[in-house]
Amino acid sequence: MNERNKNTADEAFAEKAKQLFDASVDGLDGETRSKLNRGRQAALAELQSGGQRWMQWAPAGGVAVAAVAALVVWTGSQQVPELDAPGVVADMEILLTEDSLEMLEDLEFYSWIDLDGETTDSIETEEPENNVG
Amino acid sequence: MNACAASFAVSCIASDRKGVDTLQREARLNRFFTDVEKRALRIAEISIRDRDEALDLVQDAMIKLARNYADRPEDEWTPLFYRILQNRIRDWQRRQMVRNRVMVFFGRGSEDDDFDPVAAAPDPAGRAPDEELQSHEAMVSLQGAIAELPGRQREAFMLRTFEGLDVTGTATAMGCSEGSVKTHYSRAVHSLRETLGEHWQ
Repeated sequence: MNERNKNTADEAFAEKAKQLFDASVDGLDGETRSKLNRGRQAALAELQSGGQRWMQWAPAGGVAVAAVAALVVWTGSQQVPELDAPGVVADMEILLTEDSLEMLEDLEFYSWIDLDGETTDSIETEEPENNVG
Repeated sequence: MNACAASFAVSCIASDRKGVDTLQREARLNRFFTDVEKRALRIAEISIRDRDEALDLVQDAMIKLARNYADRPEDEWTPLFYRILQNRIRDWQRRQMVRNRVMVFFGRGSEDDDFDPVAAAPDPAGRAPDEELQSHEAMVSLQGAIAELPGRQREAFMLRTFEGLDVTGTATAMGCSEGSVKTHYSRAVHSLRETLGEHWQ
């Protein structure tokens, strides 16, 4: 048998095998088809639950992204010359307390208190020297 | 305020779009599974000679495809699905071999001895009894011969002939080169023709 005849015979064999196979697929009983259907639904449910698992983290992810963006904008506006890591952690702790938020609202007042304190300190430290004399 | 409203509207539209995409993908996957599941079952069944186990393997393969590869292009699903299924079949066969060795060690024979290919073969529908019987017998002979092939030849033959994958798709499904697929397939056809002989031609 030459190569061409062999290929033709192989193709005919494969074609017959395919027809028999397809007939056996068509002949699958109802119970088996039902089981396949249940398996398919389980797989599709997995697709849905996988999507929901991802979706349930979406709000938390959005909040986290917003928080990071706000922090970047805020620290950028402060123009701090040197940003050391412990300092950033301390800043975060301060920022995350409610008292600090209230303090930020009255930042001008606290600046004035601070300035006033420095003036008072300088007066208080000068007075004893004057008394000694 | 307007910026917030616009941002909310955009996120709602994006969320709706994502929901639509998920539904469309689910519908496409459903069509794919519906198309492939029966052939996959028969291929698995011929490989492991147990329909219930084959059903479990096909379901596992569908779940894994849905979980890990649903985002891949649709034309990749068929070779990916069969790659998963073939891996499951090989794992199952390895476990069976170990189990059989243990059974033999403890003096119990293999359960495969009880396998009856005639009983396990499906009933073709809508045919005259003579034709049905001939077809039935021919299929039983064929699947018996396929089951006797070496594993890689069996995979190549069934993926190429029964599933209709091309050489590239079969190579992806089998995890080997296209040259290996051609060699395995050619040897499988030669071996099957020799085994089945005139009785089947």
